[in-house]
Amino acid sequence: MKATIGLVLLFFVAIALTLVVGVRDAGISDLWNAFFAFDANDPTHAVIRSVRVPRLVAGLVAGAGLGMAGTVMQAVTRNPLADPGLLGVNAGAAFAVVVGALLTGYSDSGMMAALAFLGAAIASIAVFLVGGARSGAGSPVRLTLAGVAINALLLSLVSAIILSRNETLEIFRFWVTGSLAQANTRPLEAMFVALVLGAAIAAIIAPRIEALALGSSLARGLGTKPGTVQLSALLAIMLMTGAAVAVAGPIAFVGLVVPPLARRIGRHVLRRELVASAVLGGSMILLADTAGRLVVAPAEIRVGIMTALVGAPVFIFVVRRLKPGALT
Amino acid sequence: MSAEGSGKRIAGGWAVLGGLLFAAVLISLTVGQIMITPAELLRGLMSGTGPGSLTLRVLRGPSTLTAVGAGAVLGASGTIFQILLRNPLAAPDVMGFMSGAGCAVVAGVAFGLLIPLPILAAIGGLVAALLVAGLSFHRGARQSPLTLILVGIGIGFFASAVSSFLVIRMPPQEAADAQRWLTGSLTARNWGHVLQVFGLGALLSIILALQVRAMALLELGDELAAGLGARVGRARYGLICTGVLLATVGVAVAGPVPFVAMMAGPLGMRIAGVRHPASRLTAAAIAGATIMVLAEVISRSAIPGLQLPVGVMTGIMGAPYLLWLLWKEVEAGEV
Amino acid sequence: MSQTGLTTTSLTLGYRERTVLRDLSIAVPDQRVTSILGPNGCGKSTFLKALARLIAPASGQVLLSGDDIGKIDTRALARRLSILPQSPKAPDGITVSDLVRRGRTPWRGLLAPWSEEDARICRQALEQVDLSDLADRPIDELSGGQRQRAWIALVLAQNTPYLLLDEPTTWLDLAHQLEVLSLLQKRNRDHGTTVVTVLHDLNLAVRFSDHLILFGGKGLVAEGAPEVVITPENLQAAFGLKALVMPDPLTGRPMIVPH
Repeated sequence: MKATIGLVLLFFVAIALTLVVGVRDAGISDLWNAFFAFDANDPTHAVIRSVRVPRLVAGLVAGAGLGMAGTVMQAVTRNPLADPGLLGVNAGAAFAVVVGALLTGYSDSGMMAALAFLGAAIASIAVFLVGGARSGAGSPVRLTLAGVAINALLLSLVSAIILSRNETLEIFRFWVTGSLAQANTRPLEAMFVALVLGAAIAAIIAPRIEALALGSSLARGLGTKPGTVQLSALLAIMLMTGAAVAVAGPIAFVGLVVPPLARRIGRHVLRRELVASAVLGGSMILLADTAGRLVVAPAEIRVGIMTALVGAPVFIFVVRRLKPGALT
Repeated sequence: MSAEGSGKRIAGGWAVLGGLLFAAVLISLTVGQIMITPAELLRGLMSGTGPGSLTLRVLRGPSTLTAVGAGAVLGASGTIFQILLRNPLAAPDVMGFMSGAGCAVVAGVAFGLLIPLPILAAIGGLVAALLVAGLSFHRGARQSPLTLILVGIGIGFFASAVSSFLVIRMPPQEAADAQRWLTGSLTARNWGHVLQVFGLGALLSIILALQVRAMALLELGDELAAGLGARVGRARYGLICTGVLLATVGVAVAGPVPFVAMMAGPLGMRIAGVRHPASRLTAAAIAGATIMVLAEVISRSAIPGLQLPVGVMTGIMGAPYLLWLLWKEVEAGEV
Repeated sequence: MSQTGLTTTSLTLGYRERTVLRDLSIAVPDQRVTSILGPNGCGKSTFLKALARLIAPASGQVLLSGDDIGKIDTRALARRLSILPQSPKAPDGITVSDLVRRGRTPWRGLLAPWSEEDARICRQALEQVDLSDLADRPIDELSGGQRQRAWIALVLAQNTPYLLLDEPTTWLDLAHQLEVLSLLQKRNRDHGTTVVTVLHDLNLAVRFSDHLILFGGKGLVAEGAPEVVITPENLQAAFGLKALVMPDPLTGRPMIVPH
């Protein structure tokens, strides 16, 4: 109960900070007025409505998507190192968008989103196959290394393509490390719908995933078809990750940091864990983004770098807690 | 009789390996925006004038030779860790030592430290290695190679994140250069780089030559090695230091180029057909040099008018190898 | 006081706070085959490792011809005493002859080339374990018994007067166990090598050893010739085993028949 209250508080603090902090500082009263007594001539109101609210929505969509995708992934693979960012699913989405843009000239947001889903799907299937997650032979090491390899391959290709097109460094960076800076140009509404769809699928199959965690033969005895559940889980992961990448670019480590905390709050009931990971993921991205804007103001540090700074030590911590036997 | 047969086969293997490196160097020197024939190169080498000479002295010679040197030290470094940990996945790039070296160099530039690049890289690499060893330490349990590798991956993530963080603080042009260097780049190398990588590389190779015997014993396991007269702890720490330093010599001239260190050892071993650590190290150095030179020439001639960072190419070449390695293990049902 | 051979004086061994063996003063007879016996966890492997300086004693000393082995130079010790640990692991793809050659390491100068002498000793080692024909085969392709013989050839090539082996017969079937032990016995008879092994099988140990060291749960139970050590009382004390001891019809040595 205490944890839940803390979580809600954290969430609102993260939202408030995102709206208030920036080059143009805004007070709580500015916030109130921007929403309920909008003055088109007040630049602070304009900034809040046209820049910071989209940024907020993008951060929430990305954080919730990555957090829930990480929780579903870890529940299905039973691997505490599974994270859509580390396993190359994000890179797959980024790669597909960049290749699509290369082939078709330029991309509108709808097409970009479609491509992001396709790339996320292909990359996650590839990583599951190579990592042996499907055959049940997947170990944390193998799955992680498969992710490292797929990430390296796809990001190298993305670099090669983008550098060859003389795009500005800024666009290049977006598809290598995520950022919320141009949130107002991203397809927020569509991606919100995709996220909700993915979350709904995840929530529906949550009890089946829990049954699967008891081992596939026991799950069959409980009336679950492992193949169907895994495919549905993959679909949910793909929708949520694709939505996140389309609005914020590839961001790693959210899906690694959030699930263990969500397990503690959700007390090992997957549906509760999903809610908790959505809130936690959103808070984490918003806080990381706000911190990134404060540290080197007026410049800003991309949110993907900030999550990596926090997430890499967590990664090492999780590795240390793995039993030596669990590695092979 | 069979010994003689395998001797011949091994000699053939060395010839193939050497031939590949020679071919790669020749391609690197001749291919580019302006094609230069080998005859012109030879003429330039003899007379010291003409387009051949310009290519050798200024345009392509230094970059190609830096690639040879950097590839060789990286290959040798990777093999040291692969032998010590008995695992093909162990390499200074996978385990974060090279990212650590790269991070230290970027930090030096960002804070305007007046420390020479190789020393910065060495400090970064050694700190990363120390962190990996310290953080994978469990009281009372032996460190599994897999824990070391995973913790190393984590350190690599962290070092890369810190590097990106530091790059933001730089002025735009400098930031773009630093970003490129962090991917692994061989553009605009000069004879200073060549001298540096070969000089430091030679020094470390001499030290490594003195350590090879202990390495051959460590391969048999700690207890047997001790019984055969190796000072196990000292030998292992010495080898780790040499391995890290070799990798950082490569990083200092070419940036943290991914996957060369990991790929070179198994490739060289397979082509030359050798097993002893001394031969494996030599083969890995030659294979690493070949990979690096090829990656360099492809990265600057694949897309006309554009020079990609060499690290992008080694990433594209190396990642499928890593995936294949993992896939093979899934098939064999083991890690 | 001058001493010969491998002896311990008030040797106490332990890991961290846990003492495994306390206050042992034991002399391993020179030029004999000695076996160390005892139930699981009694510290017999620990004792052997201490004899080979693989672990440092908590207190007391191990002496080799009167010298504290803790103070002998590592390489000098490797020329006097060799140890084969339990279930060693070979590097991938290494051939038998490459493996055996590494046994020569302590005898070669830092930059010394491979000598005719080295080659001869390796050849002899391979002959003694009867692996000359398989010298160029990778270790991974050999059977369990052949593989164990290859490892023994490695320590034979080390050519030391003292040869220590930790459970050299684990994972082998009975025929191969006999093969390995008679090989060690032959080395002892032909070269006067002092052989010390840790063994699991009591009857095999009795059959091949001149001297036995028997540990129980609370330290040393008995040491001496097999006839002296293997008694129903000692077996009861060491293993909690009720057994009959009768003469082996083949050799006349004691044979254990558990109740």
